[in-house]
Amino acid sequence: MSEIVEGFHKAIELLVSLDKEIYEIILLSIYVSLASTFISTILAVPLGVVIGAKSFPFKKLVVRLIYTMMSLPPVIVGLVVFLFISRRGPLGYLGIVFTPTAMIIAQVLLVTPIITGIVYNGTKEKGEEIKKLAKTLGANKVETLILMIKELRINIFTGIVSGYGRAISEVGAVMIVGGNIKGHTRVMTTAIAMLRNQGDYAMAIAIGIVLLFLSFIINSLLYHFQLGE
Amino acid sequence: MNITISNLTKSYKEKLVLKIDDSHVNSGCFLGVIGPNGAGKSTLVKIIAGLDQATTGEIQYDSTPLNTSIYQKMTMVFQKPYLLRTSVFNNIAYPLKIRKVDHRSIEEKVNQLLEEMDIQHIKNQNAWTLSGGEAQKVALARAIIFQPSLLILDEPTANIDPASIFMMEKTVRHFHEESKATIIIVTHNLQQAKRLCTDVAFMHQGNVIEYGKTEDVIFSSKNQITRKFVEGEIIL
Repeated sequence: MSEIVEGFHKAIELLVSLDKEIYEIILLSIYVSLASTFISTILAVPLGVVIGAKSFPFKKLVVRLIYTMMSLPPVIVGLVVFLFISRRGPLGYLGIVFTPTAMIIAQVLLVTPIITGIVYNGTKEKGEEIKKLAKTLGANKVETLILMIKELRINIFTGIVSGYGRAISEVGAVMIVGGNIKGHTRVMTTAIAMLRNQGDYAMAIAIGIVLLFLSFIINSLLYHFQLGE
Repeated sequence: MNITISNLTKSYKEKLVLKIDDSHVNSGCFLGVIGPNGAGKSTLVKIIAGLDQATTGEIQYDSTPLNTSIYQKMTMVFQKPYLLRTSVFNNIAYPLKIRKVDHRSIEEKVNQLLEEMDIQHIKNQNAWTLSGGEAQKVALARAIIFQPSLLILDEPTANIDPASIFMMEKTVRHFHEESKATIIIVTHNLQQAKRLCTDVAFMHQGNVIEYGKTEDVIFSSKNQITRKFVEGEIIL
């Protein structure tokens, strides 16, 4: 117990003293998570709307695959991405292994199905009604799509926040493809895992506090948004 | 808007649910579509509104098949309306916004309609928080704000209170008198059909079995099934 209390004290000291290493780790984590969530949003929102609103062969199978991918084990994604981008892999020539780019790719693969699944669910529930309304009011295809996105904004926002939550808290995939290199690919989650192994609880707790704080901010934003509705 | 129906059929999994040989709705007519449940009334109006495809046959609107320009001139109000997740004002203004009407005219038109329908007090309220009657009034206001040539109402007053029904009917009647638009209303309420409609079509088992002036169909029908329906008997 005393270790935890002491850890908290040290953590606050580290945060207040603006420790460079901690802030580098925090900033890289935010960058990698934001970049992967942004790319995933661009891919997943139209995909979720199309799957939810259109009928096509094997739709049920596609939906089941998306649901399965929503809970993909990060280490498996990390391993697969690593095998592709490692020097001997088919994409090895890109030279991106152990870089933030590799971490973003792995996270895009984890986050895209989450946002797609949530947007798909919203579209499945309300998409038909929205389309019908747009048609009866004389909206064209572009106006219908804009209306659909506006009306599904809570689902889209929930998907983005959930995806971001997954990205920022994920450790397995970024550890494998990023390598947890100090000052280069070390993010909050990989740093916590490493610091625990080293017995440096103060630093681990300090980063943990920041991670929780970021998570709190994200959830507060979601709550505020829903309350506003 | 004139509507001409020719050899229209609709089947679901080989079950024929609608079969109308030839029918014509004159421009400016206020047509009531009545009949028992499962008669095909809603299927018919959905096809007219372009929300469902006929299996065979065709519908012409002012001698033109359904196209983008026709869609711009017609609208439909459903029994359970979908209101946009925004204010009442924005809901009613939406059809004008997509028609690129200037902001000042939108403001004027919406305010005038809100006043006419006695719902100005909910102007800034989120439409998702409205009662059933209020929601239906907003849906009607949104439908008539852009002066459609064809207004289709699918049981618009089925689940709302008498005061709201009165206001809805008053608004629709006023809109009809002012615009001379063609209006088609699906209703189970014969009194409502009597109050509003110039013409009535009685449907049974997917067919229009009687079509004529309201007083002729409701008060002096020569068809046995129509008479039974009007007298409140169960028809199979």
